[in-house]
Amino acid sequence: LSNSDLIPSIKLRHCCLLRNQRCLVAYLYDRLLRIRALRWEYGSVLPPNIRFHMCSEELQWFSQYKKSLASFMRSLGAGEGLDITQDMKPPKSLYIQVRCLKDHGELEIDDGTVILLKKNSQHFLPRWKCEQLIRQGVLEHVVS
Amino acid sequence: MFITDIRKEFYEVVANQRVALLVASDVDALCACKILQSLFHCDQIQYTLVPVTGWQDLSTAFLEHREQFRYFVLINCGANVDLLEMLQPEDDSIFFICDTHRPVDVVNVYNDTQIKLLIKQDDDLGVPSYDDIFRDEEDEEGDDSGNESDDGSEPSGKRRRFDEVNIGHYWREILFDYEQYEYHGTSAAMMFFELAWVLTKDTKDMLWWAIIGLTDQWVHDKITHMKYVTDVATMQRHVSRHSHRNEDEENSLSVDCMRISFEYDLRLTLYQHWSLYESICNSCYTSCNFKLWTLNGQKKLQEFLADMGLPLKQVRQKFNCMDMSIKENLRDVIEESSNKYGLKDIRIQTFGVHFGFKNRFFASDMVHATAALLESTDKDGSDSDNFIKALESLSRSNLDRLHSGIDLAKKKLLAIQQTVASCICTNLILSQGPFLYCYLMEGTPDVNLFSKPMALTLLCKYLLKAFVHSTRNKRCKLLPLIMAAPKSVEKGTVIIVGIPPESEISDKKNFFGRAFEKAAESTSSRTLHDHFDTSIIELKMEDRSKFLDALITLLS
Repeated sequence: LSNSDLIPSIKLRHCCLLRNQRCLVAYLYDRLLRIRALRWEYGSVLPPNIRFHMCSEELQWFSQYKKSLASFMRSLGAGEGLDITQDMKPPKSLYIQVRCLKDHGELEIDDGTVILLKKNSQHFLPRWKCEQLIRQGVLEHVVS
Repeated sequence: MFITDIRKEFYEVVANQRVALLVASDVDALCACKILQSLFHCDQIQYTLVPVTGWQDLSTAFLEHREQFRYFVLINCGANVDLLEMLQPEDDSIFFICDTHRPVDVVNVYNDTQIKLLIKQDDDLGVPSYDDIFRDEEDEEGDDSGNESDDGSEPSGKRRRFDEVNIGHYWREILFDYEQYEYHGTSAAMMFFELAWVLTKDTKDMLWWAIIGLTDQWVHDKITHMKYVTDVATMQRHVSRHSHRNEDEENSLSVDCMRISFEYDLRLTLYQHWSLYESICNSCYTSCNFKLWTLNGQKKLQEFLADMGLPLKQVRQKFNCMDMSIKENLRDVIEESSNKYGLKDIRIQTFGVHFGFKNRFFASDMVHATAALLESTDKDGSDSDNFIKALESLSRSNLDRLHSGIDLAKKKLLAIQQTVASCICTNLILSQGPFLYCYLMEGTPDVNLFSKPMALTLLCKYLLKAFVHSTRNKRCKLLPLIMAAPKSVEKGTVIIVGIPPESEISDKKNFFGRAFEKAAESTSSRTLHDHFDTSIIELKMEDRSKFLDALITLLS
C-alpha cells in the first residue's frame, strides 16, 4: 500500500473526529446554558443533587458566572444595586397566597416575626419572601 | 363578650396585624373561611390558615402558633367550651370566635378582654344573666356583684370561677338547663358575609359562599325550618341587590358572568347532575315517603312516574340529555303529582348559580360535593389534604374538583340509601327503651364511609326518617336514635352519633352531648370527646355494652 492510498481513510477518520468534537462541544455548550439557567431558577446556592451531576470545571464556571452577575446587579440602580432575579414575571400583587407542600420549619419575615411552615397550612405573605421557597418547591402559589 | 360593631371591633383591630385562622372541618366553616380570605386578600392582611378537626387538633395548632400570633380567629369551633381554660394562652392573645355551636360557654360570654364573640346577641341564645351564676369572692358584703366591666377587685377579668360556697344550688340548676341541649345558631358564612357587606366589599362570589354555608346547615339538619326560611329571605334580599343589572336588556351581562338566582326548586338531591330516576331513588325525602326499600314502594314510584307522563327511558337518562319538552315544566308537573301521592313539600326554597353555558349548580349540590370531598376516604389523603381539596372546590376556577366532589357525593348517597334499606329490612334498629339504637357491623359494605362524622350523621338522619315512615309502633316514632359504626380497626374504636327525635316541629336540640359525658364517666369507659359537636364521640369497642346500659339507665 502506498501512502496515497491511505489518504481517503485518513481524511474520513479525520472528518469523523472533527464531527465528534463538534458534537461534544455542542453538548458541553448546552450544559453550560442549562447551568446558567440554574442560577436564575435556584438562586446562588444549588441543591446537592444538582451539584452531584456537575464536574468541578462546571462548578467553577458557575461560581464565576455568579460573581459576574452579582457585580452587574450591584452596578444597577445608580450604585445601589437591584436584584433582577426577583419578580421574573410581572407581579400582580404585593402579597400572595401560598400553600406549604412539606414541613419546612420556621420562616422569619421582615419585621422579625416567625411563621411556622407546616405541611398543608396556607399563608398570605409578602411576595418577595415567598419566591425563593416557591422555586425550591417548599411552597406552592395558590391561585383561586 | 359579644361584639356589637363587627367592623370596628374586629376588622379594624386586625387590619394591620397578622392573624391565625383556625378553621373547623365543615362546609359552613369552609365557606366562612373563603369569605374572610377574600376580604384579607383585598386589604392585604397577612394570615396563616390551619385546618382543625377536633379539640386536640385545636390545642396542637394553638401551641404551635402561640408564639408567633397575637390574634386568632376561630371559625365554627371554640364557643361551646371554656377556651381560656383549655388553651391557657398568654394575657395578650385575643380570640375572635365565629361559631354556630350553641350554647355558648358562659365564661366566653362574660370574659371582657380576651374572648370576642362574632355572634349576634339576639341569636336565640338565652344566656343566663351574670348575677345568676357568678358570685365574686370579695363581695360578701352583699354589694353589687353584677358589675362585670369595672369591678376593680377582679383579677383582670380573665377567669371567673364558680364560688363553691354559693347559697343553694340555684346557679347549678340554671347552668344545667342552659347547657343541657346542644343546637346551632346563624351560619358563620352569613356572619362574615354581613361583615363584607358592612365594608361594602361584598361580591357575588362571597354571596354564593354565604348561601352555601346556610344551605349546609339545612342539608345536615342543623337548624329549624323556620330559621332556614328566615335566613333564606335575608339572603334573597342580597341576591336581588346583586342581580338588578341582569334585567337591563341593553347592558346585559355576558353569559360567563356569575348569576345567582332564587329558586323554588325540587327536593331531589343532585338531580341536575344525575338522572331524574336515580335522584328520586336516592333523595331522603322521596325515598322515605315512597318507602323505596319495599316492593310496594317501587311499584308506587313507577305509578308516580306514569302519572306524570314521564317515559322510563327519559327518566333514566342523564338529566342534561332529557327532552327539553319534559324539562320545561318539570317542577310544576312533579309538584302536582307529588301532592296526589302525599309528598306535600317536594319543593324547597333555595338558590342556584349559573356561569358560562354549561355550569349550573344549586346550593345543595355544592354542599354535597364539598362535604364528600372533605370526608373522602381516599387512602393517600390526610385530613388536611381533604380540607384543601374541599376548599378548592368552592372556587369557580376549580370545576374539575367540584365535579369529582359531585361524583363522590353520588357514591355516598347510594351507599347511604343501600345501608338504610338493609337496616330497615333486616330490623337492625332496636328500641332500647328511651332511644333507638343501630350498630353497623364491620363487614357492612361502604362502612368505612361512615367512620366520618358528617357522613354518619347524614346516614343517621335518613335512617331515622325511614324508620319513622316504616314502623307502626307509635311510641317508637318519637324516640331519638343513636348509631354506632366502626371508626378505626387498629385502635379498636367505634364512632357514636346521637340525634334528636324526628318530628315536623323539631327544634333540633340535642341532649346527647351531656348524656354521653355522664354515661362515660359513670362506667369509666374509654371515650374520646374530640369532635366540636358534643353528640359525636369515639369509644373503645369493648366498652360499648356497658356504655349503652349506662345511657339507658340515665335516660329512662
